[in-house]
Amino acid sequence: METRKINVTKFRWSRFKEGSGNYAFLVPALLFLAVFMIYPIVYNIILSFKDVTVSNIQGEQHFVGFRNYAEELKSAAFMISLKNSTLFTGLSLIFQFAIGFMLALFFNYKFPARNLFRSLMLVAWVIPSVISGSLFKWMFAGEQGIVNYILIVIGVINEPITWLTDQNFSLASTIISNIWLGIPFNMLILLAGLQSLPEDVYEAGKMDGANPIQRFFFITLPMLKSTIYILLVLGFIYTFKVFDLILVMTNGGPVNSSSVLPLHAYNLAFVTYDFSRAATVAGFMLIIVIVVSIGYLKLIRSEEE
Amino acid sequence: MNELKPINKAIYFIVGLIITVLFLFPIIWMISTSVKPVTELFAYPPKIIPSEFVFEAYVDNFVKSNKMLNYFGNSFIIAGGTMIFSLLVAAPSAYALTRLKVRGKGLILFLLLITQMMPTIMLAIPFFITFANIGLLNNYFSLILADATIAVPFAIMILRPFFQALPSELESAALIDGCGKFGTFTRVILPLVKPGLYTVGAFCFLYGWGDLLYSLILTTNESIRPITLGLYNFIGVYGTEWNSLMAVATIAMVPIILIFILIQKHIVSGLTTGAMKG
Repeated sequence: METRKINVTKFRWSRFKEGSGNYAFLVPALLFLAVFMIYPIVYNIILSFKDVTVSNIQGEQHFVGFRNYAEELKSAAFMISLKNSTLFTGLSLIFQFAIGFMLALFFNYKFPARNLFRSLMLVAWVIPSVISGSLFKWMFAGEQGIVNYILIVIGVINEPITWLTDQNFSLASTIISNIWLGIPFNMLILLAGLQSLPEDVYEAGKMDGANPIQRFFFITLPMLKSTIYILLVLGFIYTFKVFDLILVMTNGGPVNSSSVLPLHAYNLAFVTYDFSRAATVAGFMLIIVIVVSIGYLKLIRSEEE
Repeated sequence: MNELKPINKAIYFIVGLIITVLFLFPIIWMISTSVKPVTELFAYPPKIIPSEFVFEAYVDNFVKSNKMLNYFGNSFIIAGGTMIFSLLVAAPSAYALTRLKVRGKGLILFLLLITQMMPTIMLAIPFFITFANIGLLNNYFSLILADATIAVPFAIMILRPFFQALPSELESAALIDGCGKFGTFTRVILPLVKPGLYTVGAFCFLYGWGDLLYSLILTTNESIRPITLGLYNFIGVYGTEWNSLMAVATIAMVPIILIFILIQKHIVSGLTTGAMKG
């Protein structure tokens, strides 16, 4: 019965294949991809080797080789944005992941309303970042914000901190907000990973006398490896381009202390109208994204071998 | 390993409730601020539940003035347009990339993955220059297209596992019944992947609803600006009117909450299968 079914399918499929209509299904997406994604990326790269500003956007434009790249590397605003982007992305990833993992382990137990709680928390992830930025701006606001109140009540600080206008704390407050945003997604994906693990491995682990901590490090972590890799790479990509949240909360200030690469590029392009320098910053971001992706692919490959 | 005794179930429920409430505190605080009398905004100690509920901030921004309502209308057009456009582009290609024989599948998927990784600002600069040159600034359609650059690759990736899960005999059966390829797709396949379409549609809507960057650079005219930009300008102009800001933010969240309540199950399962297997 089973073999006959497969034969029929194969036979029909071969007729199905002969028409070239299959490609028609791809036309809209390929057109869109080419015109609205690949073309702009190429345009952006070309722009980074030119000298386009608001004054010559419709006039004569020259190729200037790597001059923009060299000058960006000498720019203080670029270097501080690069450093901030590294801190922002690194710290966000570590904390989102760690807290998300702890919550996933907790919500992996079957108790009433856990799915409701999980969904409610996911709402935080889908809120537009303008809204979450606004509400964190409000919570960190001035000396009377609720964050200062809570920290003073629980005894972490004695004096209120002007989070968003203090050079030492502006980046930290945006990172804290971003961690909040990312926790639900990490929790959701890790929870799905945990729920797909086979129970009998844990039974065997228990029989062999492994305690819960050993089971976590020797069973859960290794089996979730590929989920964790994907999650961290996705997290990196999302976090590295975060822009709205910082724009709303601090606008990169005070004095660039919370500026990141996308915000620096935005300011170059749409505040000073130096399009080529902005494209150069985007070019640097592209290089970083490519390096990270290649690293990820290498890691996956070495895992498979 | 994760079955609990009844007493433990109760404890886990209470701890879960506490975690959820603490985690959602920023949202609770937002709503509480929006209904506070101005005199209580900076009360010390802060009041989570205001002594009286004042809806002035809502009335001022949504009844006395229709500026915010105009922003909302624009957001619905942009987000709805992003959703429809992205589904029209993504569904057939996700189908072809999963179930039909086409060459270069791997390459296309790779390209989609790569373009998804691009910093948004990288697309924004060329869009601004090109749209300015061809007179497409201040246009709903240019905003929809720009937002779709985020939504389309995501939609294709998330939709694929839904197509993959269908039994392989479907197409041949539909062919025998006399459906063409396109008929098979629209009449047989699409109805079967409805949960996937809901999930993806919801996310495309949310991307359109949440965008700030593209509306910031591709619009100069109030009449087509979305609510995100309205909120952003609000912060600049009325920097300290926190209750108004929180009222508008609260209302801007309503469509998101509604979408979530309506298709909550699909969103969670769709997102996890998509992210894990995509």
